Amino acid sequence: MIRTRTWIVIIAALAVAAAGAILLIRFFGAPGTTAEIVKGGEVLYTIDLDKVTTEYEIEIGDEDGDRNTVTVRPGMICVSSADCPDKICVNTGWASKNHPYPIICMPHELIIRIVGAEGEADAEAG
Amino acid sequence: MAKRIVTDAVLAAVALVLFVIEAQIPPVVPIPGVKLGLANIVTVWALIRIGAPDALGITLVRIALGSIFTGTVPSFVFSLSGGLLAFVAILLLRKLLKEDQIFVAGVIGAIFHNAGQLTAAAIMYGTASVFVWSPVLILSGILTGLFTGLVAQLLAKKIPRSIGARRN
Repeated sequence: MIRTRTWIVIIAALAVAAAGAILLIRFFGAPGTTAEIVKGGEVLYTIDLDKVTTEYEIEIGDEDGDRNTVTVRPGMICVSSADCPDKICVNTGWASKNHPYPIICMPHELIIRIVGAEGEADAEAG
Repeated sequence: MAKRIVTDAVLAAVALVLFVIEAQIPPVVPIPGVKLGLANIVTVWALIRIGAPDALGITLVRIALGSIFTGTVPSFVFSLSGGLLAFVAILLLRKLLKEDQIFVAGVIGAIFHNAGQLTAAAIMYGTASVFVWSPVLILSGILTGLFTGLVAQLLAKKIPRSIGARRN
């Protein structure tokens, strides 16, 4: 039998490894500055965030009446408002090269991801 | 047999109530997939105290009814993939755990639940980029799993063994 102390050490080590991975993601960021807005598995927009000079908004709607408003600023992108029930996509906040966490709106099957200049293949390698 | 069906049905109802109540609470952390996972308490307790077939049945009934009451089609797929992976992980691990180590099953269940959800999301959205969230979800899984696991451990201590025990 494994001792309780050993289990606690295993769990603590896992927590430290996860925290380390979070720091690495923060330090290295995404391999590129391109954002892709994907809905229902289809890439709707590809935006190089480094080339954005002025803030603008994109309305993403569908025939079900689902709506997400995406705001694009130089270097960053977010969902600024949505009519989904949980608002997780809005509350996730900005995604950028240094904060490359994909924004997911599960009820609307919408995802915004940061990829390399060549697209998804680079993002997976990173 | 009748006692077994009643026990499992009551446990499925308990898990369903926990699931539905939790779904009414607005998300505390703005991270997709992070939640307390109170229904995990029932799965862990049933797996340790009753047995694998009963625990699987309870979990499947809870996921199916929970999705009908609260969810959408994608949320059903996420619940199912997360719930099944968590179940298998705890099943493989439980022989290694002593009475005062049930909390470990909670942690393993929570981490693998999140892993199953992320994998389902990666397939559903057709993108591996969702795995960027995995370190965050491992950390949150450890915290929520410690909570649900400790509750399950406390319940295993307090609830008489005769409840759920197999006689046939």
